[in-house]
Amino acid sequence: MNEYRWEELTVGLAYDFEATFTEEMAQDFARISGDVNPLHVDREYAVSAGFPSPVLFGMLTSSLYSKLVGVYLPGKYALLEGIDLDFNAPVFAGEKLLVHGEIVFKSESYRRMEIKANIRKEDRKLVSKALIRVGMHD
Amino acid sequence: MPDLLPEIQEIFRDIFDNDKLIITRESNASNVEDWDSLAHVNLVTAIEKKYKIKFGLGELQELKNVGDMIDLMKKKLAEK
Repeated sequence: MNEYRWEELTVGLAYDFEATFTEEMAQDFARISGDVNPLHVDREYAVSAGFPSPVLFGMLTSSLYSKLVGVYLPGKYALLEGIDLDFNAPVFAGEKLLVHGEIVFKSESYRRMEIKANIRKEDRKLVSKALIRVGMHD
Repeated sequence: MPDLLPEIQEIFRDIFDNDKLIITRESNASNVEDWDSLAHVNLVTAIEKKYKIKFGLGELQELKNVGDMIDLMKKKLAEK
């Protein structure tokens, strides 16, 4: 886990990492969130709807933005204060996802930064993009 | 210098997700619903981004209402 302090963070500082989700993780997410929509948990239904397999929940793959902020950029001292999020393409279990985030704005007065982030597949296809508002605690 | 109040009002409407919100120079955290500390940070950073100005924490702590904020913004914009 990174432990950046406010003074060490600069506009342009970036971090990248990879992740992959399984169908079991999607089942866990359905149980935790209560979103049991069959497109995400019923293979037969997903195939009948024209997809090769169940579509991973957008909010599950977007949990990687939470990891980006809480573990890496800035890490330990982060406060995730808001996020604007767009979904651009479906994701399926087993696909490798590449997460990228970069600090694009810092406001000294209340120690608030903004991180522009995106998730792409290995072929660079855009999965989602986000503007994340992040504060810091001591 | 343009009248900043209508522009500020648009920022408020966006942050409070309320298209009907009316802001005056007398508006403050006690008479605008949902104006809490996090909304306040959102307002200040949105203004800093839009107008490319920077506030000091001391300056912000002296503000009593939107009118004070507009006056501070005018001062900052004139110094640019």
